[in-house]
Amino acid sequence: MSTTSQKHRDFVAEPMGDKPVTALSGIGETLGKKLEDQGFDKASVVLGQFLLLKKDTEMFTDWLKDASGANSRQAGSCAQCLKEWCDAFL
Amino acid sequence: GRPWSNPEAQEDPAHLSKSRLRSDLVSHNVELPPAGSKKEVYLKLHLEHVDQGNAAGFSSDEDDQVLYAPGGDRVDTKIPDPTALSDKDLKDLLLKYGVKAGPIVASTRAVYEKKLRKLLQSDGNEGLNEAETAVLYSDSDEEGEENGDLEDEKESEEEKERINEALELNQKQCNEHLQEPVKNILKDLIPEAKTTPTGIYVTPRRPIKGAAQRPILYGYPDTPVSPTTLERRDVERRLVPIYVQILVFFIVLYILYFISINV
Repeated sequence: MSTTSQKHRDFVAEPMGDKPVTALSGIGETLGKKLEDQGFDKASVVLGQFLLLKKDTEMFTDWLKDASGANSRQAGSCAQCLKEWCDAFL
Repeated sequence: GRPWSNPEAQEDPAHLSKSRLRSDLVSHNVELPPAGSKKEVYLKLHLEHVDQGNAAGFSSDEDDQVLYAPGGDRVDTKIPDPTALSDKDLKDLLLKYGVKAGPIVASTRAVYEKKLRKLLQSDGNEGLNEAETAVLYSDSDEEGEENGDLEDEKESEEEKERINEALELNQKQCNEHLQEPVKNILKDLIPEAKTTPTGIYVTPRRPIKGAAQRPILYGYPDTPVSPTTLERRDVERRLVPIYVQILVFFIVLYILYFISINV
């Protein structure tokens, strides 16, 4: 397993509250914009999608790739960070 | 009555999500309205084009499965189009493939459709009646594993046969290959010895072991070979050929000599 980024650790460290999508690890400006266009303006909305897919990282990764055009690394990073957040706070 | 006056109907287009309507329209080759259009526009198009066939049936609740055949029938068809399935059918079908789908809503439907398509594709490459067994046993994971095991067994059997064939061929070739040089070596070593007509019992290793008489001792022509002999010969065949041994010996000799003159 690769080491986690600072962004990942920041996100997993505390409740997400009203953080924007770009707070998610793997989601930068460009991907964040694409997600916002589709209504996923907050990290919690993306979390909602993650939960709808029953926390299945594989399916979530597929979805994120389709929805935002993220690559496998970005989508995987985002899924990982949401999963760890769920493990900590759900 | 009109379809949208019937809230109970499972397939009532009015209760489908906008993206669902859109995907239905796409699957029926209907030109989509401009991107910003309201749901009503999609709904109208949906009613006009998609539901034409069974518009008459919409007065009754029981007919709401007409457009989308029930899951069981769907499975039997070759490759059902996931986009044409209802949310419930999609969920059932995924369950038959061992995927416990979550809620199928507007934002997750596309993901599950993709998943199902992938499953259908990978399934198409495997056994033909996988779909049938999937209907009988909801836990298709195990089924798949069993099938996989069987196939593995078959494959390993085939492989064994192939290896045996290859071994036989190899044996023949080696026998042919070994006969001549072995005879020559023997003649060189023991000129008065009778060589066996088959040359089968003469292997390059015997003289080296110092059992010079053995080839003649065991030299019964046309004796059927015992399985242990066959095995032994197989082993010997895999050992390093004599010319390689000699070559290595000379190389080592040369290296030692080289070292000795340099020290």
